[in-house]
Amino acid sequence: MNTTAPPASALNHRAPAAALRRMAFAAALCGLVVVPWISGYATQRLMVEVFCVATIALAWNLLAGYAGLVVVGHQMFVGVGAYALFSLSNTFNLNPWLALPLAAVTSAIFAALSALPLLRLSGPYLAVATWVLAEVLRIGALNSPWLGAGGGLPLEAIREFDRAARNAGTYWASLAVFAGSLLAASMMLRGRLGLALMSVRDSEPAAAAAGVHVLRAKFLLWLAAGVMTGLAGSVSYMSTLQVTPDASFGMNWTAVALFITILGGIGTLEGPLLGTLLYFVLRELFAGYGTWYFIGLGALAMFVMLVAPGGMWSLFNRRGFLDVFGIRRRMDTHP
Amino acid sequence: MLCATRLSASYGLFQALFNVSLTVAPGETVALIGSNGAGKTTLLRSLAGALPTAWMSISLDGQSIGGSSEREQLRRGIALVPEGRRLFASLTVHENLLLAEHNGRPGNWSVMRVISELPTLANLLERPSTALSGGQQQIVAIARALVANPDYLLCDEVSLGLSPLAVDDVYALLAKVRRNGTAIVLVEQNVRRALAESDRYYCLRKGQLVLDGVSARADRHAIAQAYFGV
Amino acid sequence: MISIVETLMSGVMLGALYALFGLGLSLSLGVMRMINIAHGDLIVLGAYLAVLVTGRTGWSALASLLIVMPLMFAVGWLMQSLMLNRVVGRDAMASLLLTFGLSIVLQNLLQEIFTANTRSLEAGDLALMSFQIGSLSIGVLPLATAAATVAVYALTGALVARTHWGRQVRAVADDPGAARLVGVNDRRLFAAMTGLVLAAISLAAVLYGIRTPFSPSAGPERLLFAFEAVVLGGLGSLWGTFFGGLILGLAQVLGQQINTGLGAFFGHLVFLVVLIARPQGLFGNGSKP
Repeated sequence: MNTTAPPASALNHRAPAAALRRMAFAAALCGLVVVPWISGYATQRLMVEVFCVATIALAWNLLAGYAGLVVVGHQMFVGVGAYALFSLSNTFNLNPWLALPLAAVTSAIFAALSALPLLRLSGPYLAVATWVLAEVLRIGALNSPWLGAGGGLPLEAIREFDRAARNAGTYWASLAVFAGSLLAASMMLRGRLGLALMSVRDSEPAAAAAGVHVLRAKFLLWLAAGVMTGLAGSVSYMSTLQVTPDASFGMNWTAVALFITILGGIGTLEGPLLGTLLYFVLRELFAGYGTWYFIGLGALAMFVMLVAPGGMWSLFNRRGFLDVFGIRRRMDTHP
Repeated sequence: MLCATRLSASYGLFQALFNVSLTVAPGETVALIGSNGAGKTTLLRSLAGALPTAWMSISLDGQSIGGSSEREQLRRGIALVPEGRRLFASLTVHENLLLAEHNGRPGNWSVMRVISELPTLANLLERPSTALSGGQQQIVAIARALVANPDYLLCDEVSLGLSPLAVDDVYALLAKVRRNGTAIVLVEQNVRRALAESDRYYCLRKGQLVLDGVSARADRHAIAQAYFGV
Repeated sequence: MISIVETLMSGVMLGALYALFGLGLSLSLGVMRMINIAHGDLIVLGAYLAVLVTGRTGWSALASLLIVMPLMFAVGWLMQSLMLNRVVGRDAMASLLLTFGLSIVLQNLLQEIFTANTRSLEAGDLALMSFQIGSLSIGVLPLATAAATVAVYALTGALVARTHWGRQVRAVADDPGAARLVGVNDRRLFAAMTGLVLAAISLAAVLYGIRTPFSPSAGPERLLFAFEAVVLGGLGSLWGTFFGGLILGLAQVLGQQINTGLGAFFGHLVFLVVLIARPQGLFGNGSKP
């Protein structure tokens, strides 16, 4: 469903709803922060995974759903972020948590550089080029002794921390990355960038003719998505303590993002979150069935796309009434 | 007799037609007039099967045919010359016509007959269809619908963007079509031309039928009021 | 020491194979505006079908095509009619996500049935035959592969340019709505097209299976090479895909000469360089799908 922005007075930011929303998020955040004190390591590691995957899915959705940039090589950001963290921390003997912002900067630089050639490409050209670039990075890392080649790199500096601190620290880092990404995404989309992107999504030529700086909007989004994904990759591998080329630059990251999009729908912020939840529920319940679990996932994906192409979230959200993040805009359709 | 009975149509959440009813008798020419956005194109596309419609909202000779596809409507003798011509750029003029003839009904209008009736077309046959002037493209677009041998030819804005001479050529072709006994539904922005070329007219405004009548006896003042809603 | 001619021939044969991989993708992207993520897995499916047929009948791999090709045609027709036609009208995301699910199902079903072990197809005597021109030894199989690819492309080109069916295909690629208005049955057209695509894939699959051992998870890499061939050559150009595939194959073989593990890597580099220089591909007509 495409909407345009009505006069500011009609915007969906009614004060009570916005305040309620903020309180709800604050409460959720408080609840999540205390997790390391009330649960075991296994739960924490699972939650780290959930937060990282959710962030990556969110970032992928931002690109595909709001800027029309379908990326099949999304793993390139993951690997860059992870390797940046590990190599920076190892080389300069840095506390990994202090190295995180540096890894973010590296991801930003990579995103900015990759945007230059890639954003000139359209549609399938872009999709395939990102995949090829991810492969180039993977094979490059595989053949680079200074990056550990096939065995990858360990995160040496983390050994100074005991297990409890390590797990809690990684957990809080993942929570920060996730919450921060969500906040950044909703703020971006609620503002002028969001308007610009929605107009581009509706009709790029018309948006350009109306004065929207299309390339700049896409670039900003690309940068944001790259940093989000890079950070999520850094934290994710901080949790596993070892980064390897095949895992960090593997297709699996894009595959999971695709699958979450199928479950949660595209073009919303709630979608990837719901999709992530559903994905992990399914995984925890059925992954023990091996190949049949994957066949089931694939069949579910096909079924959803045939029956509810807006993703499963669209089944609950027929007319777009549920707008958890307050970024939807309404058009008055009565004549 | 082609009838629309309380026909409504929407694009997603946006309703473009509200309970429009009209009739087209065999062989007659009916004009659809109205300002931009009035729903004229939507109406033609609904009749042609390009938009989903309720089963009973369109009937042909008493049979309900709403909800049919473009192919089915073509088989029944309803063909649309779409707004903007929409010739196939990867095909030559000849190929555009052959394609439509092959998928259409047999009848008087064959590609050969069209070429013989329109000598200027003969020289353009092997050109890519979009390498023609606007007027020539319009002739080809009408010919393309014609070779399917429809009983009802729906023409959407055939004079749009054409020079006066080209418009005359287009209407000369339509006169030939009319002489052959085919009914025509004409969407035309130029009200004077629309009334001159038709037997009856319907005026739409904001998706609703606001006026209809016999073209020869049309009251300009009443039409202006209906057209603009003053 | 491998001679230059043998290297070139090897590159041409691999390139011809990639051109065949890319043919179907080029058609479905250009005409149906569909991104088929399962394309690579369908190639692998074709190879496994050949394994089944050669196992049962004892025929050679190439002879098995007599059964595999019609079978794959039927699979393509059914797949399009029952599933893919439902997402054709919608945006490219829908077909991408649907075929993504299909890809996962295919890969894992093949793994369940055939296990993850790699297999090969036997070419029989054909793989060993070669003939002499002067001092050069030219293998029959590489030559036959290249010739077959050219033939398939020429046939497809002729179909598209000269027949009524081809006119419909071009019309639908130009303007699907207007095509329906002149009576084109796009549903059936697409089914036939996917059938043909899969039949062409089966030829590529058998040639590929003879040359390289394959396993159920080999699909995504085939897809990547197919995509590279299409994008390199430029969307909207059939022969562009042919040359794209050729260039890719040559680049990979050359890269392999420099360092055995880096064949694909070299191909990727060439791909990226070309795209940076020409964002619409070598022969792309710049039309956005």
